[in-house]
Formats: sequence, C-alpha cells, structure tokens
Amino acid sequence: MGMEKPKRKLQIRILVIFVVFASLLSGLGIRIAYLQIIDGPKLQREALEQQTRDNVVASRRGTIYDRNGKVLAQSSTVETVTANPNEIRNSKKDADKIAEQLGAVLEMDASEIKKLLDKNTNHVTIKRKIDVELANKVRELELYGIYLQEDSKRYYPYGTFASHVIGFTGDDNQGLAGIEMVYDEQLKGVPGRVISLKNALDTDMPFQQEKYIDAQNGTNIVLTIDEVIQHFAEKHLENVFREEKVQQGAAAIVMDVETGEVLAMTTKPDFDLNNPFELVDEGEKQRVEAITNEQERATEKMNALYKMWRNKAVVDSYEPGSCFKIMTAAMALEEDIVTINTPFFCPGYKVVADRRIACANRNGHGTQNFKEGVQNSCNPVFIEVGQLVGADLFKKYYKAFGFTDITGFDLPGEAKGVFYGDNNFGIMELSTTAFGQGPKITPLQLISAVSAIANGGNLLKPFLVKELVDDEGNTLKSTEPKVVRQVISKETSDMMCSLLENVVMNGSGQNAYIKGFRLAGKTGTSEKIPRGNGKYVSSFIGFAPANDPKVACLVMLDEASNGEYYGGRIAAPVVGKIMEDILRYMKIEPQYTEEEKENLDVYVPDVKGKSTAAAKKDITAQNLTYTIVGNGETVKDQMPKAGSNMTAKSTVIVYTEENSGNLVSVPDVLNLSLTEVQARLMANKLNLNVSSAGATGSTSQRTIAIRQDPLPGTQMEAGSIVKVEFRFLDVD
Amino acid sequence: MHQQKTNKTVSGKRASAKGVVTSSRVKIKKESMDMGFLVSVMLLLIVGLIMVFSASYPTAYYKTGNGFSVIGKQLLWAVLGVGAMLFTSTFNYNNYKKFIGVILGGCVLLLVAVLVIGNEVNGAKRWLGYGGASFQPSEAAKIGIIIYLAYSMSNIKDKIKQFKYLVRYAVVLGGFMLLLLLEPHFSVCIIIGLTAVIMMLAAGARIRYFALAAAPVAFAGWMIAIFEPYRLKRLTIFWDPFKDRLGAGWQIIQSLYAIGSGGLFGVGFGNSRQKFMYVSEPQNDFIFAIVCEELGLIGALAILALFGFMIYRGIKIAMNAPDTFSCLLVTGIVSLVGVQAVLNIAVVTSSIPTTGIPLPFFSAGGSSLVFLMAAMGMVLNVSKYKRQPKA
Repeated sequence: MGMEKPKRKLQIRILVIFVVFASLLSGLGIRIAYLQIIDGPKLQREALEQQTRDNVVASRRGTIYDRNGKVLAQSSTVETVTANPNEIRNSKKDADKIAEQLGAVLEMDASEIKKLLDKNTNHVTIKRKIDVELANKVRELELYGIYLQEDSKRYYPYGTFASHVIGFTGDDNQGLAGIEMVYDEQLKGVPGRVISLKNALDTDMPFQQEKYIDAQNGTNIVLTIDEVIQHFAEKHLENVFREEKVQQGAAAIVMDVETGEVLAMTTKPDFDLNNPFELVDEGEKQRVEAITNEQERATEKMNALYKMWRNKAVVDSYEPGSCFKIMTAAMALEEDIVTINTPFFCPGYKVVADRRIACANRNGHGTQNFKEGVQNSCNPVFIEVGQLVGADLFKKYYKAFGFTDITGFDLPGEAKGVFYGDNNFGIMELSTTAFGQGPKITPLQLISAVSAIANGGNLLKPFLVKELVDDEGNTLKSTEPKVVRQVISKETSDMMCSLLENVVMNGSGQNAYIKGFRLAGKTGTSEKIPRGNGKYVSSFIGFAPANDPKVACLVMLDEASNGEYYGGRIAAPVVGKIMEDILRYMKIEPQYTEEEKENLDVYVPDVKGKSTAAAKKDITAQNLTYTIVGNGETVKDQMPKAGSNMTAKSTVIVYTEENSGNLVSVPDVLNLSLTEVQARLMANKLNLNVSSAGATGSTSQRTIAIRQDPLPGTQMEAGSIVKVEFRFLDVD
Repeated sequence: MHQQKTNKTVSGKRASAKGVVTSSRVKIKKESMDMGFLVSVMLLLIVGLIMVFSASYPTAYYKTGNGFSVIGKQLLWAVLGVGAMLFTSTFNYNNYKKFIGVILGGCVLLLVAVLVIGNEVNGAKRWLGYGGASFQPSEAAKIGIIIYLAYSMSNIKDKIKQFKYLVRYAVVLGGFMLLLLLEPHFSVCIIIGLTAVIMMLAAGARIRYFALAAAPVAFAGWMIAIFEPYRLKRLTIFWDPFKDRLGAGWQIIQSLYAIGSGGLFGVGFGNSRQKFMYVSEPQNDFIFAIVCEELGLIGALAILALFGFMIYRGIKIAMNAPDTFSCLLVTGIVSLVGVQAVLNIAVVTSSIPTTGIPLPFFSAGGSSLVFLMAAMGMVLNVSKYKRQPKA
C-alpha cells in the first residue's frame, strides 16, 4: 500500500502534464488556423509581392488615321536594352567584357555602359528603342544579365504634317501634345504583364511559372482631317508664311460647314513630329544655344519649344477685325434692323462719343446701301448698324455665335476669347466691336460662327475625331455632328451668303475670287495693341459654293512683315488658292456666270498634222485666235503645245513649215492692269495665263499684276504662255 | 500486444514461469513494445524526412548545386537513428541506473571538451568531431540529465518536496547550463530547464518553490530591458514583426508569409515558394513554416495531432511504467519532445520570441535525430514492462 499512494499521485501529475501539452498544441493549432485562414489572404498577397517579378509588356499604341484611312501616326515595335547590375555582380561575370561587347554592337562608349553596370541596383536602361534588327544582334551575344524589352516607337510618316493637330509622344509613349495627348487614354491601350517567380536572391526560380496577361492594343483614331485638304492648306499657308515674312505665326482652318468637322488645321511654323524637341527656327535655336547658364538654357529651350508647339488656330485669340462684320451684318438682318437696300452715308469717318473713328477709305464711300457697305467693308456703316442693333441684342448674338465660350474642341489649351464685362460694354465698345475691334476671339470660334452663318444658321460644335476604331476595323465610337443652337434663320443665312459672295465678286474680297466656284467671304485686318505700332493680324474667312455652302476656310497671318498687311491682299488669295484646290478635289461642279464663260481659260487643241483649214476651225472653236506661219497645207507644229491652258482669245501660232524656234524676250508686266498685261504680252508674241485666285477678270486699274512667271528678260519661244498673278488693291 | 515474449529479469527479481513478475504488491508483466507510440514515432520520422527533402532542396541547390545533399545526409542519420532506437528499445532501462556515474560524467566531459576542441560555427562552439561525423554534446546532455533526474528523484522519493533537494538539482542543472552558456547555446538551456521543471513537478516538487524562482528571472529580464534595450527589442518584435520589416522582423515575417500562403489546403507538396531563400533555414528551425505552406492548415493540424498522439502514448506508457524511475524517465523524454515541438511551432508562428529550437523529427541535423531516436527507444523499452492492474 505504501507504494501505491505516491504512484497514484504521480499518475495524476503526469496526466496534468499531458493535458497541458495537449492544450498548448491545440492553442498552436488555433494560432496556425488564424494565420492561414484569417490573416492568410493578406500574408499571401504580401508574399506574392516579394516572390514575383512583374514585367510590363508594352501595348501597341493605336494608329491615327485621316478620314480616308491614311496613316498619320503609327507605332512600330522596337526594343529597349536593360541590365541587372546586381545579377552580373553576384554571378561574378566580367562586367568589363559585357560592356565592351555591348558597346561595340550598340555603338556606345563601353566605359559609359560599365558605369551603368557598376550601379548597385537591379535595373538600368542601357539604350532605348533600338530596332529589332539591332536587338537581335544584342540577343546573339547571349550576354549574362542583359535583357531586351519590347517597346514601341511612334512614327509619323508625314513628318511636319498637321504637327499641331496630331501631337507627339514622349519616351514612355505617353501623349504629350495634340490628339496624342488628349486621346492618350484611348490610344495607349492596356499594357500586358509577364509575372514570373523569383527567389530571395532576385534571380529566377529553377522551375519557371510564368503568367502572361496579354497587352490590349490601343484604340485607333480616325480624324476628320482629310490628308489631301490638309496638304493644300499647309502648302499655301507655308508659301504665304515665307513670302510675307509672317513674324508671329500663321494659322489656317478648313471646316465642313454642314457638320462642323475640321478637314484641315495647320499652324506655321510647324515642326517635325519625329523630332519634336528640336527647335525649327534657326534664330531661336542659336539664341537658346548661346545661353551659357545651363539651367537658364534649359528653361529657355522649353519656353521656345512650348511656343513652337502652340496650336495658334485653337490657343491664340486675336482681334478679328473686319471679318467680324459678318456677324454684325447677320444679326442686323436677322432682327430686320436693316435690309440690303437700307441707305447709308460714309464721309470717311464716324464720330462716336466725341471720338472720330476713321474708315479705311479716308475719302469716304459716300452714299451706299447696306449691300455696298458690306462690299466696301465700310466702318461707319457697321458702327451705325451696331448702334441700331443695340448693346443688349448685340451681346446676345455675340454669345449665341459662341464667342464667349470654348467650343469644346478635341485639342488642348483652347482659349475662350476676351470680351467686355457687362458694365463695360458702352457705346464706344459696341461701335468698335461692330467692325471687329476690341474683343478677342480664336480662329476656331470664328470659323465655327461663320459656318453657322453659311449652313442655314446652326452653330455646330467643331470636332476633330471622327471615329474610334479597333484593330478589326469595327467602329467603337463615332462622333455625330452636334448643333449647339440655331443662331440665325435660313433666310438670313441665304442673304448673308449672297452678300458675302458679292464681297468676293465685287468688293474687298476680290483677291480670293475663283472662277466658277462662287466663293463668299470677308477680309479682316486688325492692328495689334498697342495701336500705331504697325503690327497687324491679316485674315480672310470664306466659304463656297455660295448657293450651297460646303466648306469654309480661314487664314490668319500674325504680323506679316514684308510690306503688305491687308487681309484682303495677302490672306484672301491664300484662301482662294486653298479653296480652289479643295473644290476641285471634292469634285464640286463649277458654276460659271455668262461673263465667266466668256472669259474662261481654254485648252489649246492639238492641230499638229491636221490640214490648215481644219486647224483654223478647231482653234476658233476653242475661243482662240491663230497666226499661220508658212504656206503649207498641213500643220507641222504649234505653239503653245496642245493641252496648255491660257486666257480666252489668246493666239496659237500654227506652223505649216519648219518651226524655226524663234525666241522672244519676256517683258516686265508687274504693276500693270489686266488689259495692259494682255497688250504687252501680245506685242511680244506671248500668251497669258492668269494664275488661279484673285482673278476676277477685272480690268480695273486697281487690279495689278504682282507676280509673273517666267521673270522679265527670260527668252521664250514665240507663242509661249506667261503666268501672271493679279492683286486687287482696294481692300482692307 | 499481449503476445508474450521470452522471460527476463526485471528489477533484479526472478521472472515467473508465466512472465509475470511480482514485486511486493504489484504485478509487472513483460509485453511487446507499445505499437501506438512506435507508429507515431515512425510516421513523424517519415513525414519529417519528406519535408526535409522538400524544404532543403532549394537552399541545397543554390549552395552546393546538388539539391539532394541535405536529404542524403539526413536519410543516413535517420537510418542510424532507427538503429539506435532498436538498440535502446531492447536495452533494459534499469541498466542506466548502473551507469549513471558514467553517463553524467561523460556528458560533463563532452561539454567541457566541446569548449576546448569544439568546432566554432558562427561564433559558437557546439560541435564535436569532424565534418559529417560531428555531433552536439548538448544533445547527449539533454538525455543524460533526464536519466540523472529520473534516477535521483526515484531515489529520494517524497523528499523532493523539500526545498533543499530542489536547490541541489538547481546546482547540478546550473552547472550544466553554465557549460552550455559558454558554448553558447542558450536555447538548449531553456529546453533542459523546462524539461527538468516538468520532471520535478511530476515527481512531486512543490509548485510554489518554482514560483519563488520566477522572481529573480523576472528581475533579470527587467535588468536586461533597462541595460540592453536592443535585446528587449529582439525579444518583443514577435508581437508585431511588421513594424521592423527589413530588420528584426524580417525572419519571422518570412515565416508568417509561408504559413499564410498555405491557406487551408496548402500550395502542394514541393511547391513552397518561401523556401527559396526567403525563409531562413527552411530545412531547420523554420521547417514547420514550409510544412504549413505546402500542406496547409489540414497538414499542419495533422502533424500537431501526430505530436499530440505521440505524447499521449508516451504519457500512457509513463503512467503504466513499472517503477518511478522508468515513469520519470519516460515523462522526461516525452516532455523533451513536447517542449521542443511546442516552442518550435510557437516561434515559427510568431507566438513567442525567436530562439533557435529545432522541431523534433523534422529539422535537419544529424546527431540530434540519432539521440532523439535513441530516447524513443528508451520509451519503447519501458513500454514493454507494464504494471498490471490488480486482479
């Protein structure tokens, strides 16, 4: 018994020990369950974060097309060379050798690569965006710790073309300007990922479990821009920009008046989209490079670049000058304040609140009706009309035409314009605004308002992006024309069309005239502030055909410095030339007046090999005359050659004997009127071709030759054609 | 179980013809060893080996280029361990009493020797021998001390209730611990200390004396906190390892990541990602984190249950042991395994401060497995001799 008792106690104590152990193990079981089930997801996520390497696979950026599917911006696959310096160091590979081999292929300094490889990091970029061919050469080297990452490079096939509209991208393919910036989200797509496991040494696991998440390519964008029309606008604007030595840039917009689609938009000077960080202007470039302070130079360069990238057509507001008279006229007609026959008198000035405001014609236009007042762009007429409309109504229309709001266009940095506050719009402000002086508007606001006047009165929201399209060509989203509001009636619109056509036919807009295309428009010249500094903004806005307007075009030149500054003289011909090209391209049938038909340019018929009699008949049939040289029966040669284009009633020299190649000298016809030019050329046995716009056929002494091709003194075969450009001088 | 084997003498008494020995009033019957205990030990050993293979592969691969280098050695040690177990399971436990002086003296000798001629690894001298043939004397000391305590306490019987005997053991244990601290090997001190306390409590020592000893321990802790705050920081980081992610918390965070990644069903055998150099010593002190990651909560609980079952069988053997010595011996050995398992898993789950305690049967490390298996054999040997309930 003496042994049993303590034994029993011992057993109980041992049992207690077991219970304690069992409880501890159970407690640990609960602890593990808590860690794995409650904390599990969080711990697992954090664990995965450290265990995985997440490599980004670039998505292909969407392509930008013009409205006809021409590629304006496209991304191509390139590769970027990177390295993992720590990996190279840990593996004890020869970094010098790697740098050397890599340098040789990439044409880089080996010591520079070595510097990168010596960094204490897991990632350095050695060279960005090399083409695939070069990348393959790097691949062939099979260098340790050197990686190639797929990347993409933006390529703009037309270079400077529509540079301010398209915009460009940065090193990381992010949109930095223009459509590239505004539609960056859509264009860039969703980058894919390659998730691979790594161990704590940051190298790959022996078993690779890679997970690919495909990159989603960006959406393609179809612009409303028509590459051909844009090209016309750019070509003609570039020419005038150079010839007239425009100091502060020039802009042109072409708009479909029925939809608000922008068919072309250009700002000069432009820049190369493939090299957007290079200053185009040599003077600017030298100025910036001359700065010695590095930081200052960088700042200045950035400022200069921003200036170069400014899309004048949208971002800059200016005083529209006489172009604004279109709106004043439209509201007066709409409100029945005037009719086209309302009489006015212009003494050459108008006194408003004790101030004498001069007309462009200092001698005064005398008695004229409203139609003639518009034709003459007479300031006193418009001051009077503005006052008749009254400040409140004027302001209402000003707002209705959209000049106090941004248009909501697809490009960044759109300006709203500048207008008077409610209490500052007195009689003087009303009077000057009526002829376009005082408030500031953007070219885009102006062409939108004028399109409303042309299309029957509907102000449309201008737009640049026609559709978003996926890679299969399915339309994801398309922009529908949006009427903001009807500003004037159809009747007023029709009336305005004929008034503005008259401006081009008979008034200050004659230099924009194109035979048969019924251009309507208005000139504008505004002196920049401070007044009297001799700096002007010259502009012209037109649309055609006047009886059924399709297209509007605005050209604005900021500080032309080559002597001429009247919008009617330097901007109007540009609009004429652009519109002529556009209307022919759009296959809009010319509508000639009887008078135009008489004076239509004609094509020289092919009479070579024909009998003399037949030749005479053919030539006469073409509204041409002839001179026969020789006494032969059949025509051996003719001058000008068949198919040439020249003014009606010109002379074809018909050779019935050998053409002796008899040369004549081209006379100087500059500053002569049309009649005088014709006479002088005829006297020199030469023919005339009046080059495109600005040729109303006016024989007025105020329409003079301003350009001739070939130049005076050139030897030409008799009968050759001399191209002469005329300019009407009585414009503003 | 009840199949009878050859008769042997037990406790120096003659065996009766039926294999039943009568010692004064209790019948002691010799049987085959406890199969439940054996099976749980073998299962733990096998699962442990499999997990060592999985957990050690990456580290072995990156360090030596051969992913099998750790498991290869471990298998060899396991074979040796099974051999040792077979031997001790047939070696009558009473013999340890005769050799108690040799055992204790041998342990002291080894612990002194390791301080003199031991191999220094990471600033600690814990290993004796050369290369693959080396072992830790502390492993031997654990078993030696258990045998000594079981022997001594079974001799003094109820005198254990007296304070002076506790002081005696404290002096002996203190001597051993001093030698271990000189290596230094602090974690073994904790294990030996806790095992010894459990054994003394089982033997009948008064619990209030231990409460008395708690006071100076608490004071020492307080002093450490004041004079060496960085130690306190290391000691308390387990509360919130995430507040020092890259520093003191790193190691334990990696363990928690592994456990958390496992979820209910685990990432699958061999699929641990944390063993790729994230968890330090994934085949060793933190192997249980890898177990949790690969086998999930289900696997982890199964292994806990296996440990529990093993302890249960061990306790049962102790309760039925033929005499106080064998009872305390088995209690000591089972407690040794239990203490190590609980402490290891508590460390891995960030439930207590981090100390380097291996998980029995799982952690790779040759000599400890051999000593552990030898101790298992001792338990099995005791299990052969059962006190029969009185008829």
